[in-house]
Amino acid sequence: MRILFAVFLLITSFLDLSTANASPIISGISTNEINIDTNFRGADILLFGAKGYTGNIVIAVRGPKKNFMITKKERFLGIWHNGERIKVKDLYSYYSLFSTFSDNAASAEILSMLELGKSNLKFNFSGEATDSKKNDFQIQLIDKFEKSKLYPTTSKIDFLDETLFKVMLHFPKNISRGIYTVEIYLINEDNLTSFQSIPIYVNQVGLSARILDFAYQESFLYGIITVILALVVGWLANYLFIRFIGK
Amino acid sequence: MFQIYLPIAEIPVNILLILLLGLVTGFLAGMFGIGGGFLATPFLMFIGIPPAVAVSTSANQIIASSVSGLMVHLHKGTVDMKMGLFLVIGGFIGSTFGVSLFRILQKAGQIDLVIALVYVIFLGSISIMMLVDSIKTLSTKKYNIVWEKKDSDRFERFLAWIDQLPWQIHFPKSDITVSVIVPTVLSVGIGILVSLMGIGGGFMMIPAMIYILRMPSAVVVGTSLFQIIFIASNATFLQAITNNSVDIVLAFLMIISSSIGAQMGTRAGYKVDADNMRSFLALIIFLVCLKMFFSLFAAPEALYTVEVLKR
Repeated sequence: MRILFAVFLLITSFLDLSTANASPIISGISTNEINIDTNFRGADILLFGAKGYTGNIVIAVRGPKKNFMITKKERFLGIWHNGERIKVKDLYSYYSLFSTFSDNAASAEILSMLELGKSNLKFNFSGEATDSKKNDFQIQLIDKFEKSKLYPTTSKIDFLDETLFKVMLHFPKNISRGIYTVEIYLINEDNLTSFQSIPIYVNQVGLSARILDFAYQESFLYGIITVILALVVGWLANYLFIRFIGK
Repeated sequence: MFQIYLPIAEIPVNILLILLLGLVTGFLAGMFGIGGGFLATPFLMFIGIPPAVAVSTSANQIIASSVSGLMVHLHKGTVDMKMGLFLVIGGFIGSTFGVSLFRILQKAGQIDLVIALVYVIFLGSISIMMLVDSIKTLSTKKYNIVWEKKDSDRFERFLAWIDQLPWQIHFPKSDITVSVIVPTVLSVGIGILVSLMGIGGGFMMIPAMIYILRMPSAVVVGTSLFQIIFIASNATFLQAITNNSVDIVLAFLMIISSSIGAQMGTRAGYKVDADNMRSFLALIIFLVCLKMFFSLFAAPEALYTVEVLKR
């Protein structure tokens, strides 16, 4: 939806600018694949580009949407347990933003429409809770994500000269797999003048990822295999022990 | 080095630590003839395995540890199949109910707390009973103190009440006649324990078979192993399909190491003084219980937790 909206904005802004310049922004990334294996410690991807237009650059990286459960610990008779829980649906599992805006208020409307900036993200709480409670949980959620680097706090774009820029995208070790999108926006006086989207594929590789998938997707078969494995290995271990070590 | 990633628990663990853990619990199980599940599960929790995964994976391991014992008993012909059948029926009902309860608690976010509480209560009462028992035995041995056996009038009345329950059936192998309600109710309880605690419940089932069902002791162990394999299989399967909490890699490592440990424990059991070892076991269980008890009161690392939901 949001991307459609961006495209729509772009088309309308081109119509506005009858004297449109060619190639307003060009950018690329060093790789668009991240493979998570058991030794994965995070990944860095270099984004570079050039802008031909005047205006501000905003770069947003969004991870696949997930559902999250936020739980508050409470104490009863001295015992700590899980208290209030709120579920947040369809929230980006990763989100980082880079921008040349010195003052976000300048283009607040368009930034909000494009969900640019953590404060412009939509939080889909499910279940009933008061607004102030939702707000508390939202603050805690963002705080958690910032601490675990899933929502990085750096936002600086490095300029090599007037047109060339680069950004280092950091992905921590606890990222979810799925398709990430890097979106590069050029915004000039409240108008979107250029938009580019680059996907990054985050895959989980290795045996343990395959086992996890299998356990969830083919849980019936997985359940049967766990039982049979225990029967066979338990019997075999005993047999071999008696056979080779003796009673 | 030696790190292995557990796919379902989703944490890396030291493979040697898991093997050692299996070896120790298997050794104790072999030595004392009890399942070892009620030591394995807390130990797994202590090293950071999520309680839900520890419980379900232990249920998986119980299948393996019961198989080899059952083979011996089948060979000797010391299994009461007819009794076993009624125990399996009750056990299926109990474990199915237990796994559903597990699911409800997991959804409500309270499964970890309930597992810990149930363990503290169970381990606490077992270890105290065992300690008192072994103190009595040791003092009789050393100082010739004779402990008066309590008049079990009430227990006699309980047995008399059981004997007049309906649906009396004769079990030829054990040569007893008992109402089918009794084994069924007993095994419903065991089924719930398997699902919620990841234990085989032999330490409760065996005395119940001897004192309540009054089965001859020759067939008790074999029949108990027979029923527990079915109950643990049902619990493992249901945990895997409803809660996705069985870790096959962890289970495999525990099965291998605990089988070896059990063999060593059985052999060592012939050589040591059983009464001394029993008080030692009681002490271990008591310490495990204490640790679990205090961890209930420990302040959490963070007041809020965030988890990614898989579905």
